[in-house]
Amino acid sequence: MHVDTSPDPMRIYRAKRDASHVYVKSKYNILGFISSGTYGRVYKAEDASGNLHAIKKFKPDKEGDVVTYTGISQSAIREIALNREISHENIVSLKEVILEDKSIYMVFEYAEHDFLQLIHHHSQTLRCPISIPVLKSLIYQLLNGLVYLHSAHILHRDLKPANILITSKGQVKIGDLGLARLSAQPLQPLFAGDKVVVTIWYRAPELLLGAKHYNNSIDCWAVACVLAELASRRPIFKGEEAKPDSKKNLPFQRDQLLKIFEVLGSPNEKDWPSMTHLPEYTSLKRLDPCPNRLFDWCQSCLRSQAGYDLLRQLFVYDPDRRLSAREALGHAWFKEDPLPTTNAFASVNSNQIPPHRRITQDDAPSMSMTIPFQPGQSGNAVLSGSSQQAQVQAKSGHSHHTGTNGSLGDVGHGTTKIRKKPRLG
Amino acid sequence: MATDFWASSHYTRWIVDRATLKQARADDSAYVPEPEYLDFLTIYFANLITKLGKKLQFRQRVVATATVFFRRFYLKNSYCETDPYLVISACCYVAAKAEESPVHIKNVVTESRSVFGQAPYNVKHFPSDNSKLAEMEFYLVDDLECDLVVFHPYRTLLALCKKDSSMSPGGGNSDMPTQEAEAGELGTGIGAEDGPRFWGTGEGKLELSEVALQTAWFIINDTYRSELCLLYPPHLIAITAIYLTLVLHTPTQNSIAHLLPHSSAFNSDIPIASESPQAIPQPRRSSRSSDPSSKQTQQDPISFLADLNVSLSAISTIAQEIISMYSLWNRYKEDPTAEETRNSNMGPSMGSGSPASHTSQAGVGQRSGSTPLGNTPGSVGEGGTDDSANQPNNPWPFGQGRVVTAMFLSSMLNSMREARMSDMAHPSSGRPVVVNRMLERTG
Repeated sequence: MHVDTSPDPMRIYRAKRDASHVYVKSKYNILGFISSGTYGRVYKAEDASGNLHAIKKFKPDKEGDVVTYTGISQSAIREIALNREISHENIVSLKEVILEDKSIYMVFEYAEHDFLQLIHHHSQTLRCPISIPVLKSLIYQLLNGLVYLHSAHILHRDLKPANILITSKGQVKIGDLGLARLSAQPLQPLFAGDKVVVTIWYRAPELLLGAKHYNNSIDCWAVACVLAELASRRPIFKGEEAKPDSKKNLPFQRDQLLKIFEVLGSPNEKDWPSMTHLPEYTSLKRLDPCPNRLFDWCQSCLRSQAGYDLLRQLFVYDPDRRLSAREALGHAWFKEDPLPTTNAFASVNSNQIPPHRRITQDDAPSMSMTIPFQPGQSGNAVLSGSSQQAQVQAKSGHSHHTGTNGSLGDVGHGTTKIRKKPRLG
Repeated sequence: MATDFWASSHYTRWIVDRATLKQARADDSAYVPEPEYLDFLTIYFANLITKLGKKLQFRQRVVATATVFFRRFYLKNSYCETDPYLVISACCYVAAKAEESPVHIKNVVTESRSVFGQAPYNVKHFPSDNSKLAEMEFYLVDDLECDLVVFHPYRTLLALCKKDSSMSPGGGNSDMPTQEAEAGELGTGIGAEDGPRFWGTGEGKLELSEVALQTAWFIINDTYRSELCLLYPPHLIAITAIYLTLVLHTPTQNSIAHLLPHSSAFNSDIPIASESPQAIPQPRRSSRSSDPSSKQTQQDPISFLADLNVSLSAISTIAQEIISMYSLWNRYKEDPTAEETRNSNMGPSMGSGSPASHTSQAGVGQRSGSTPLGNTPGSVGEGGTDDSANQPNNPWPFGQGRVVTAMFLSSMLNSMREARMSDMAHPSSGRPVVVNRMLERTG
């Protein structure tokens, strides 16, 4: 038998590639850690010209374990593939992807705020509603981005306040395409890949009732939930998610459906003929009927007949009759005063704008700042100490920081706050 | 399938010219005895990807995407500096994910080892642990510049043509959506918005018999054995496949004959007819030709093609490329021991082929049916014992028009890499400077 004694057949290739590789750290200065999730971690970084970026590093470090190549996750492949094809002012743009040291780094444009942070800022700090001009501008831009995604046959499938970002210039940027999928020509039904899509509070009724086929309209439902949440500063349908049993059977999402019915009333076959075919239809019939009180709900929050009408049409149960993103964008509400603005914060005093995104020192080894951060670049300054910290803590809760808040002894800052140039109002 | 084709990474970054293709093979051409072998390698690799794809139970589109990834990777790299087998595995692994039908990395490793380890490939070095494939995936995705959405001609085919419902319903390739509704989802054009560059007429579809539609589908499958996917946008390839089906597929030709103003002139229009005369069956009446009543609603295919907003000279160039790929493929043998089986399948199947029995384009390149699937029982062992083609010192066993075997190409690949490695390791050794035959020929 022929014993293979030849060297690694990829040797020349590997050497060439490794020699030409540009390392993340040689190109970007990591300023701090923003948030983490199941996918990995997000860092704030700046490049040589001082432009800010959010770097998403896939896969959390297995501390202690030796990290090996395990294959790129489906979610990362999706997010990379789709982001490379799209370009729109209301979608977070992917600057580059760096594959390095068994990790994937996606470099995105940086956005200072997000919807969730804005909601918290208004409910916790300012204790006042988000003004209608701001709210309308945010929803308009959100729909504008969604029209683009849908026209490109992309379903977002995870729209929620935390995933919708806002730049310091008041521009909405839809983020996180990790669950997004092409809807045109699927080789497999959408259901086959991901059994559960959309965070429960924003999940459309057809999904809650077990629909295996769905379309763009699930994103439109989520937009309606987001609109309602901006208006009332709390999730409109804050249900408890029923967890899958040990056999991974998908449970009936009773509580979430009840939360919806309490506001929108129970669905009926006349308005939604196809619901009788949904897997959970029989479970649904056992729930107590509720009347529709969306109009009352809007009286206290939205205070506009047209605004109510938009919400009502986005909250239509039948996915085929629900308003599409494009139809929503053309809705009368956006044509009545106050008109939406390109800078959603155009009407806001600068002291009402939410504070900058909180960043911390990372406790994960691979992106930790082995070289202490050099202050003074492009007008930024590193500040530390309790006075800054208190200010930042005020808007806590928006980030998904699930890791421990350990600080790096060498660097010495528990929390690092970056102060930027003053914003334009 | 995503977004607007004209704004896609496929169109804006991955359609290249012939000079770029040639440049990409510059290093490799120094290590092959004849430049022609590079063209055979193009077929060889596509067949391998198809073979691995079948083992992994891929749909045709996943195989096609994997093949495009492979071609793009070798726009930037050389066969002789890489391990093409590992690259093939990585292409399949990534393509499955990119097409939303993921397979486990372990399966890819196992099936790759099984496919590549056999004759005629006899690859012994394929890594058994997942991390090597996952590492290659990283390099691959990086070399692909993260552009993982690929457009394929199948979509155009189904957007432009519909099955003539009056003809033989049912059956068919599982990869080919036969339901009108499914095809309807494709929309009218490639773009999300049909801008000024929309290439279709926007009205009506060309009605084709199921056999004809399938033939066009198979021709598209076969185009992945060339580098056309790097040279032309997929819709032009699809239109060429329709054109070739109309011209070469006898039953289709018969069924449309009455629609053509002067069918003999149409035939003599074919610029490629003389290149490969035996490949084009003489028109003859087929018992399968449809009954005349079904033809009344058919659109005149000439005006249909003429009305498309595409360059017909580009179509004719692509048609020539496809035909010359077929004539090359006729000289390629995946497995010499399977020859008898294959020969018995040969014949003017363009005129008589039954759609179900052919898994690939019927007729010109019959191998399309047998080679990717050519796991003839017993052939593996017999092929493995045939060392004659495996000797590196064997004089190149054939000249123009002779047959090239997969086994020969496998050992040639090994020699190419070994020679390259030794050149890189000892640049000033006594080894004569390699002659770039490609340049020699054209210079």
